[in-house]
Amino acid sequence: MRSSCCASTTCWRADITDIRLFGYADPLAAQAGKPIDFMVSAEGTKEVRAEIVRLVHGDFNPEGPGFIEEPVDTNVPQTLAVRRQYTQNGAFARVDDPADHLATDGAFTVHVFIWPSLPSGSRQAVIGRWSVNESKGYALGINPEGKLEFWVGDGETVDQVTADAPLVPKVWVLAAASFDPATGEARLRQIDVQNSWNSHIGPVVPYDHNTHVVETLRCRPAHPDAPFLIAGAHEENPERGRFVSMLFNGKIDRSGLVSRVLSADEMQEIAGGTPPADPLAYWDTTAGYDDMGIGPDIQDTGPHGLHARGVNRPIRAMTGWNWRGREDCFRLDPSQYGGVAYHDDALTDCGWDTTVTWTPPADLKSGVYALKITAGNAIDRAPVIIRPDKPRAKIAVQMSTFTYLAYANEHLSFEAQIAQAIVAHTPVISGDDLEYHKLQEFGLSTYDHHTDGAGVCYSSWKRPIINIRPGYRMAGMNFPWALPADLSLLWWLEHAGYDYDLITDHDLDREGLAVLTPYKTVLNVTHPEYYSEGMLDATEAYLRQGGRVMYLGGNGYYWVTAACPDDPACIEVRKLDAGSRAWQAEAGEGYLASSGERSGLWRSRGRPPQKLVGLGFTTEGMDRAEPFERMPDSFHKRVAWIFDGIGDEELIGDFGLALGGAAGVELDRYDLMLGTPPHTMLLASSIDHTDNYPLVSEEITYAFPGRGGSQDPQVRGDMIYFTTANNGAVFAAGSISWSQALPCHGGENNVATVMRNVLNAFIKDGALPGSGITGDEKHWR
Amino acid sequence: MSGKRFYKVGRRPWELRLAPSGINERQRSRLPGTRGHWLKWRDVHNPKTLRRERVLADKMPLWWTLGLSFVAIVTPFLSNSLLSVVSIFCVYAAINVLWTLIVGTAGIFSLATLAVVGASGYVAAAANVYLGVPWPFMLLIGPMVGFVFGAVLAAPSTRLDGLYYALLTMGVAEICRVFVLQLRPLTATGGAITQVDSFIPEDWFLQRPGLLLGFAGAFLLLLGALLVWRLVNSERLGMLLRVARTGREDEAFAEAIGIDFRRARLMVFVISSAALGVVGAFYAMYFRSISPQIFSLDQMLMLFAMMVIGGLGRAEGAVVGAAIVTLIDKGLIELGPPRIILVAFIMIGVTIFAREGLTGARAQFRDFRNRKAGERRARRTEKGGEAMPEEATEVHDKQELYYRRFNKRLRERLKKLITPELIEEHRRDPLGHHSDELARVLNYFRRGEMADKYVIHRMVPAEEKFRVMAVSGQRGMPPRVIDDREYHDIKEAYHAVFLLRVNDLLES
Repeated sequence: MRSSCCASTTCWRADITDIRLFGYADPLAAQAGKPIDFMVSAEGTKEVRAEIVRLVHGDFNPEGPGFIEEPVDTNVPQTLAVRRQYTQNGAFARVDDPADHLATDGAFTVHVFIWPSLPSGSRQAVIGRWSVNESKGYALGINPEGKLEFWVGDGETVDQVTADAPLVPKVWVLAAASFDPATGEARLRQIDVQNSWNSHIGPVVPYDHNTHVVETLRCRPAHPDAPFLIAGAHEENPERGRFVSMLFNGKIDRSGLVSRVLSADEMQEIAGGTPPADPLAYWDTTAGYDDMGIGPDIQDTGPHGLHARGVNRPIRAMTGWNWRGREDCFRLDPSQYGGVAYHDDALTDCGWDTTVTWTPPADLKSGVYALKITAGNAIDRAPVIIRPDKPRAKIAVQMSTFTYLAYANEHLSFEAQIAQAIVAHTPVISGDDLEYHKLQEFGLSTYDHHTDGAGVCYSSWKRPIINIRPGYRMAGMNFPWALPADLSLLWWLEHAGYDYDLITDHDLDREGLAVLTPYKTVLNVTHPEYYSEGMLDATEAYLRQGGRVMYLGGNGYYWVTAACPDDPACIEVRKLDAGSRAWQAEAGEGYLASSGERSGLWRSRGRPPQKLVGLGFTTEGMDRAEPFERMPDSFHKRVAWIFDGIGDEELIGDFGLALGGAAGVELDRYDLMLGTPPHTMLLASSIDHTDNYPLVSEEITYAFPGRGGSQDPQVRGDMIYFTTANNGAVFAAGSISWSQALPCHGGENNVATVMRNVLNAFIKDGALPGSGITGDEKHWR
Repeated sequence: MSGKRFYKVGRRPWELRLAPSGINERQRSRLPGTRGHWLKWRDVHNPKTLRRERVLADKMPLWWTLGLSFVAIVTPFLSNSLLSVVSIFCVYAAINVLWTLIVGTAGIFSLATLAVVGASGYVAAAANVYLGVPWPFMLLIGPMVGFVFGAVLAAPSTRLDGLYYALLTMGVAEICRVFVLQLRPLTATGGAITQVDSFIPEDWFLQRPGLLLGFAGAFLLLLGALLVWRLVNSERLGMLLRVARTGREDEAFAEAIGIDFRRARLMVFVISSAALGVVGAFYAMYFRSISPQIFSLDQMLMLFAMMVIGGLGRAEGAVVGAAIVTLIDKGLIELGPPRIILVAFIMIGVTIFAREGLTGARAQFRDFRNRKAGERRARRTEKGGEAMPEEATEVHDKQELYYRRFNKRLRERLKKLITPELIEEHRRDPLGHHSDELARVLNYFRRGEMADKYVIHRMVPAEEKFRVMAVSGQRGMPPRVIDDREYHDIKEAYHAVFLLRVNDLLES
């Protein structure tokens, strides 16, 4: 049974009813026979109707088959009890201290190196044990005026000592506060540790970063019902329960507590890099690095081992207060990489309670499914990609889950000034966009910036993600992007009668070559942009052993990406030095904490995508897409079979759901200089692009005018073919809009013809057609 | 660029600024018994030199010290009559300061202030005269009576709204007056209690040493009142009220989040009333008598005039107002009745011209000056023009100034490209292969800053129904709808945005 209905995930929500539904699946990359948890948060209703649907086609464009989903018979209850679930935004580190070592009644000193990035505006807690609702405890933080402050509270009174001078944004200082309950004397110090490398501005600026204030406070810190926190303070209210507020923005390096008041000389020693000899706790952010990076938890090297657990992934592998520029990676000298960046809008795990768990049967057809929940006019679909229990088809489609996460909940249309110029569109936003933008609860993409302007390097699936919803169109250009777009390829495979299994980036990253080996051919989807080393290696090995890859996307194998070893839901990428980048990592911060490798473009690390699939990123534009035109190689008998049924001068793909062409959005080019295999045959190239398709920045060494589509011959998308050992081969059509041309004209068109010709050949065992033609047998028209 | 007028803008700060060093340890001492510091020194980075400068953020303590020292030093050298005028000024100023607490901090509009002073004075005086209680104890009896009287008066304040409560308190004062007048033992003296013992020895009374001692007492009384004012306002109680008091809705909000607003107000009322009791006792001692005149309406109105002239709700207003009115009323006594008219005229003048009394005049002048500057700026501003000098001094990122200049010139060039043909070209195909002219114009539009940038809203999912909105450019701030026009073809919507932008361009 097939039902075709409108793709409403709903502006109804905002406009008509007050019901709001949000959900997500964990894992997003699932497998038949293994349980999938769905988390749902609902406002305005206590229960929702629920069903599992299979997503067949993801866009309502009238030139295609429309929005299609199929209900699936499952044991998921038809109605689910739901409630509002709250999301903790912001990164911080929590110290579990069951023995209460850190709630000291005697004299103590707390010291910490900080690099505040947004020191004014609202109160921020840097380190301490403070309960906002009880007004109890102590904390070292930043007051709304942007000054360092140490405050204590006994539940009745709060008293504080405040630094004289405001903190300067993005400049390292050592902050320290001592308190002696016997006298009530509080001593607050801010000590200059800026050097030529470590801060946003240099030592030529005549700021005085030091201050030293002593006051006698009127109260003593009481023990709060709160954990010791770095970069936040505890808060609790009846509606929401326990959470963390007063979030800090910036970097925090080594910090610690000492059970006495430290002298001026001892403070100077800490400022010089010597940790205190008798710490109560010492959070050494440089401890725990190895060649493969570092996890989110911070080690306490003091006597009690009170390690700090990172929540929402504080960013490690960042330069510390003593960074001196010569070492640009923690692998060269971890002691200079004590920086840990915290952001008040970081989110890598909503942490919601499971609403329902579904274990798909082992024999479930591999595909993209979703938990569809409805209440009133509100609908939400939480997609999940289900891989078969064991390989069942000859064709594998590799769903680009890394890319889905990289773009998850992007804010470009609302926040990026240059976005409209890049896409050459006025954004078309939906009611859902408005809702997500207003809420600001579900985190950012790796295309966005944190509140202090730093780029976002982590993205996870443990949160509702608007732009993997079927029917969602990327606001910037008004057509589907990534997962909803990839459904066009899946729809067509089914339409054309090909049986396929889905695998994901995450599977390939984790399991390597073994995932690919069972398949005759592996298809890439529209935008396989984010790749790990393991994925490249597996694909390479697969091709060497005779595997066949159909690379059907644009701007693929581009960013050096890693899944976090302790949490596969989360990926890490650092945008670096070259490429179309929404941000750029600060100097010395380009290596991944999750793998220890240099991030940025694969091309910059000696593995341009051309070396693997013959093509690499060359241009992007979003005003219109163009067709491919056959090139002379396509008539060679070695490959002419790919064009069976296609006229000599026929334009291929002058139609499409994405901008009306098969060559568009993001395009890849053949280039021998960049490692395209020398025997590669250039089958076809796209023509006639507008100047909104400029040559990408990594190709530009000297800038000169005329690098747009109407003047630069490198602005084009290529279709290529080459063979590898053991009857392996690569067919590549370097265009994001390629797969979205397939559903046009009822799925019967010349893009589909090329696809059928290649697929039919690739799924057969043995030698490929034309492989016997090894001479210069040309077949000129 | 001849003919262009240049304006001098910006201001130079004349205040004293210290140059502290961060290396030195700084001991900050506090006002005894509070968390407040003696002086509100704040360190800032001078934006032109980036050196640290220490400025006195709140200069009022300085003015208070100067003003009070002046009074303390100059008064002993004045004539006898002026000496007593200054003493009376001090007493009235003290009353006024405490009243300010009631009206300003607690937000209770009570006109029974002098009634509290009077009642405490009467009881204290009676205790002294009829029960033979020694005079120092009057200073204890006074506040006790004030406390009780205040508590009684406070009770209805939460039940009645402003005007009714004011009338009620006026009634209370009148009842006190009539009561005292009708007391049989006092008929001989017209309701007054005389022969009250005092801190001024009897043979010094109305003599130079007595007057000096009286002034010293009155001056200390004023200092005491100011201390009460400071303590109440700087501590939790006053801060609580200041947080909560900006309107009735906020009061409800404050109560909702657990601030016991009502209790705080009553506390302030009762504390002030007790302090007024001290003033009452002092009053009886200072004049060695107390008469029903203290309950009278004209005294109340004189006090009111002081408040209005000085400025309601602030201590300096209470003191300055008391100084002016006392000087005219008691100092220019030879003028006769016209002096009352003079007070009335000053009061009317101040109400007409000053928003918050004389002490608010400085802030009012600043506002006025800023408004005028704003008006001048608005007159000279051209939409999309270059930054004007006075704006330029306020722009932190100087590159912004160049952008403004560059974009203005760019727009002048682009305007020349806008033709009916160009608009028609866009209408035919908003996403097509465009002429160089149209591409240039479009690229300028698309690069515009985020605030108020146009977007299209798909009004119903999966349906071709659009309207134009403009985004805020701020995270979490929703876009606003531009107009009520709807479009049923995305091309029409693109073109509508284009026309809006062309319009913005041509208007700039």
